Amino acid sequence: MSARSPAVRLRRAAAATWVGLAFAFLFAPLVVVIGASLDGGERTFLNFPPQHPSLHWYTRISPDLFEALGISIVLGLTTAFIACLLGVPAALGLVRAQFRGKAIVAALFRAPLQIPAVVVGVSFLKLYYSIGGATDTYLGGTLAGLVIAHVFLATPYVIGTVSAVLQRFNLRLEEAALSLGATRWRTFRRVTLPVIMPGVYAGGMYAFLISFGDVPVSLFLGAGDMQPFAAKIFHLMEFDFDPTLLAISTLIIFGSLGAIYLLQRAVGLETLSRSGGGN
Amino acid sequence: MKARWQLVLLPSLLLSMLLLAASQFAFLRGSFFKDLRLGRLGADLTIENYVRFFTDSLYLDSLLLTVRLSATVALLTLVIGYPVAYILARMRSRWSLVLLAAIIAASFITIVIKVLGLIIIFSSGGTLNRLLLASGLIAKPLTIMGQTSGVVVGLMHFTMGFAVLLLYGVVRTIPRSLEEAAEVHGAPRWRVFQRIIIPLSLPGIAVTFLIVFNLCMGAFTSAALIGGGKVFTLPVLIQQTVIMQTRYAMGATISVVLMVVTLLINALSVVLMARLDRRKTAVA
Repeated sequence: MSARSPAVRLRRAAAATWVGLAFAFLFAPLVVVIGASLDGGERTFLNFPPQHPSLHWYTRISPDLFEALGISIVLGLTTAFIACLLGVPAALGLVRAQFRGKAIVAALFRAPLQIPAVVVGVSFLKLYYSIGGATDTYLGGTLAGLVIAHVFLATPYVIGTVSAVLQRFNLRLEEAALSLGATRWRTFRRVTLPVIMPGVYAGGMYAFLISFGDVPVSLFLGAGDMQPFAAKIFHLMEFDFDPTLLAISTLIIFGSLGAIYLLQRAVGLETLSRSGGGN
Repeated sequence: MKARWQLVLLPSLLLSMLLLAASQFAFLRGSFFKDLRLGRLGADLTIENYVRFFTDSLYLDSLLLTVRLSATVALLTLVIGYPVAYILARMRSRWSLVLLAAIIAASFITIVIKVLGLIIIFSSGGTLNRLLLASGLIAKPLTIMGQTSGVVVGLMHFTMGFAVLLLYGVVRTIPRSLEEAAEVHGAPRWRVFQRIIIPLSLPGIAVTFLIVFNLCMGAFTSAALIGGGKVFTLPVLIQQTVIMQTRYAMGATISVVLMVVTLLINALSVVLMARLDRRKTAVA
């Protein structure tokens, strides 16, 4: 191969520049948020790179924001747990059972992905309103109300990741366990579950992040004290901009990156990328 | 003895269907009643809200704006994202994995934080504008707030990662040997692209276009924050109508229109995807 010819070198340089610019576009906002959070001066959010390096704004983060963060973490964990309880059996059924209308059932499970999040927000608000009118139990503005809507949003992602792992599962392992006299339940618990566990972790993590990053549904269903973190930040950005937002956002960026790193260690990049974005 | 996996699936299916049916029924039904504001509805079924949507320029303009905006973003995302995906897919070093991981990691960080960063970058006194002003490239500061073009930038940021990941998968299905064969026979690089790579990725490009288009149709957060109450896409209009004006029925009507449009586009992308899958199995 003529790897050193000028034409090839030019092409390589062009490719590197293109990729470099695209990545700069993707990452610049994160770098800018982190950088600006370290500037202690006034009108902080305009100062990048920081001119007065300090952790000043980190000490000023309002307790409200930490409270909202706490709500989001509880909400995200509960959502992830319930979404896994629903999603793992659904994936097992979808991958292993053979029955008529399976394609339709799969499409029904994916239905929430087809509905714009704002519409999910409106429809659950309306549903809670109707339930409230009929039974006097109002789910709007409660943690339970948010959990239900987020489970609706997140379950398809769990089904997606667990199915991806199950499709590569070697059925011989189970047959071996069964033929050696293990019961069905024991086989599931000791053979199947450990093998699909990475998919469950990945799905749970997806569910958590869907819940954590959601703004539209939380805007419709959150209220007063029950305001998840992303929705809270949304409101603060709309009405009064405060430099402590940069500080807490920086903490979130590093927290998210740490979580992704752990997840990638647990399930590998392949599963992570294949279960994301697309399907 | 065969395990009955259908039964394992049943409880999840019932619960999911209950949530789907209950929520969708409640709001679909709501769209067919007269809007009395403050969340109250009239007593009789009517299609008044739909008539209003398709006769009032406020709603029609919003629909057109959303479609135009989404198409622009999808096109720009493809133009920028496809080369990136191609380069990553054909890279022979481990760097491609690292870069892929970086894209995945970035896509997990909540959109509000990224929008915050974009707003800082494009703020009138920000570094970017100072540099551009000093270099004489622009006469007055670039701004994204309250601008349709700003919303395009925000949405592109939101969709770029997804698009690159999808297109990466598409390029990976095209055997490298096809390209090499063409080159060995003396085809110049541009011809390899024109005759082999582009035609083979076309179904994948079309699917990606539709997926990105749909993501944009439903995108709320970046449109609302960057649009700053001046750019009314359908999702922003829905939130305004329901939360600010407490007109639930009208909000539900706009939601139905948005959902029908996105469902039609999704149906189209499923058909295209099926074709792509057939191609994939044919290659393999």
